Amino acid sequence: MKRRTFMISAGAAAGAALLPRTAFADANRIDWYTSSDANVTDFWTNIVVPKFVAANPGVTVNLVDTDAPGLQAIEARALAALANKVDPQADFFEGSEARLPPGALDAGLYVDFSKENLSNYSKLNPLAADIPQNITYRGSQVLLAYDTTKLSPDKAPKTFADLVAWIKANPGQFIYNRPDKGGSGGNFVVRAIWEANGRDPSMFKVDNYADATGQPMLQKGFDILKDIAPSLMDQGAYTSGNTQSIQLLSQGAVTMIPAWSDQALSAIKTGVLPATTGLVQLTDLALAGGFTKNTIPVNGLNKALALKLQDFILTEEIQSAVITELGGFPGVSWDYVSKELHDKYADVIPASIPTWPGGDWDKNMKDGWYRSVAPNVARS
Amino acid sequence: MALASASDIVGARKQGGRLVGLLLVAIPVILVAWMVIFPILSAVVTTLWQTGSNGVPAFTLKTYQFFFSDGYSLANLYLTLWTTALCALFLLVICLPIALYLRFAKGRLAAYVQGLAIFPLFVPSIVLAYAFIRVLGPNGMVDILLNAAHLPKIRTPYLTPWGPLIGLVWDHIPLTVLILLAGLGAVSDASIEAARDVGAGRLRLLWNIILPRLGNSILVAASFAVLGIFSAFTLPYVLGPAAPEMMGPFMQRTFRDLYDAPNAITQAVISFFFCIIFGLFYVRSIVNNQRNR
Repeated sequence: MKRRTFMISAGAAAGAALLPRTAFADANRIDWYTSSDANVTDFWTNIVVPKFVAANPGVTVNLVDTDAPGLQAIEARALAALANKVDPQADFFEGSEARLPPGALDAGLYVDFSKENLSNYSKLNPLAADIPQNITYRGSQVLLAYDTTKLSPDKAPKTFADLVAWIKANPGQFIYNRPDKGGSGGNFVVRAIWEANGRDPSMFKVDNYADATGQPMLQKGFDILKDIAPSLMDQGAYTSGNTQSIQLLSQGAVTMIPAWSDQALSAIKTGVLPATTGLVQLTDLALAGGFTKNTIPVNGLNKALALKLQDFILTEEIQSAVITELGGFPGVSWDYVSKELHDKYADVIPASIPTWPGGDWDKNMKDGWYRSVAPNVARS
Repeated sequence: MALASASDIVGARKQGGRLVGLLLVAIPVILVAWMVIFPILSAVVTTLWQTGSNGVPAFTLKTYQFFFSDGYSLANLYLTLWTTALCALFLLVICLPIALYLRFAKGRLAAYVQGLAIFPLFVPSIVLAYAFIRVLGPNGMVDILLNAAHLPKIRTPYLTPWGPLIGLVWDHIPLTVLILLAGLGAVSDASIEAARDVGAGRLRLLWNIILPRLGNSILVAASFAVLGIFSAFTLPYVLGPAAPEMMGPFMQRTFRDLYDAPNAITQAVISFFFCIIFGLFYVRSIVNNQRNR
């Protein structure tokens, strides 16, 4: 009995020692959260953080990859911390959006960058201009990746009408992913919606959605997609993500897919896609893209350091790395990037990057696609 | 000769032992009540008590009414029920022969078969999903082999309802085999021998001797399969079609993309309700079995 009691109490003590300890923020440790993919976290781990830490000794950066809902949860916690005047344990949000979580902008959770005198603030690309609580450092755009051995570059479609004609003439050779599972398919759906509504992205703003006017506009776009559905791979077998579409292209199951520029360039660089993969952008109206936004909470313990980090990632060194290592577009204007890079990537530099607003338009586009386009798959 | 007091043999700390036992079980019970039962009840209440259009919170069934009147949501529910039922059926049909073979066979081949049957347990679902795409996907390994043998190309199950079904069956084989094998352990060699001596053939052995003893295990295996597959997420997400989708990806999409918590919780409560029906059926059978013993 006595031995048994001893074993029980020893086990309890060991269990207590293994319990997770409560975490606290640390001065000189930037708590960095992101909603982006693993390629971005790798970029930060291997390139950005070592350079920043070398330039600022004594500082550490704690990188946490949470994915979009996780990031929202951390931001919601920061918002609650603001109300209760406690430590939010977060200093930097990458891949964020100042309008989320709802109420954060009005409560003043995020730093207003126009008032912070960042040394590189004036270099930002004007195409990326948004509310001052959102700041960017990288962008990406969806384009069409195709197999040049099956489709020669001079015959690659350059307008949306050409693309639709090509899809119908080559059934089973094109596929896109479901719009909520990956931006490449999502922005293709968006391009179809723009095509159906006069190719005017400015009709779609963050705050001008209403069911009565918005639904018919979306439905016209869905009609285009329903029209091409029987000519897609397996008559409409929409893949479940950016990576799966790239996987099918690399396996040769399809000839063309929409793909993010940065993912396509990384895939070609690492050999996932063969070097014979061609990239083309539509010339009548480009496929949508966007700039990734960062936000910094005002109540973070290391706000000054976080601002320094944001300024650091806008320097030429890091912006060039964004292009070469990540395959993305820089957040600064292309004039502030080295000339050789500017020339090398000239064919993917867009004149414009049309953007699709988040919020209600996005929600209804995605749900509407699932309800209108996806079920109309004739499987026989 | 004086007899030692009874407490020397039996132990004087019987009452103390009971308290220690209760304390030990109190911690997991409290954890389950706090982190599982309370959130479930809280979620159910959230769906039933919502702010109406006039801004006043009231009892309402509107999310449930929406779910059951929405063709799209019902199609997803039917797909989930269809997938779960077929998976359970396939699992039993595939795993019972494997378990029977492993019970009665001896030697090295049996060991290899067992290793092969247990192997899926060590493969994470996401690895399985991508491997599935490589093997059974378009222009995958199966296609290449069929092409080399000049056989006709079969339609790939990838991105059809059969994709997650095949993946889920493969993923649940080890657990089902292990449970059935454990149940077969209760079938004694003596009863098999006795039946054989009387002249029973293989089929009669199976039907009259083995299956009655195995009833409980089959039920346990089916429960694990059903409860696990009903809300499966990874394989339906990666391998399944865009629409209809299984309840797992549907709930995640409603919550994450549409930021629609009340409807997502409603879908979860409905899934929970179906799983509970099966769970209750299983518990009742176990209790009956215990009583009969």
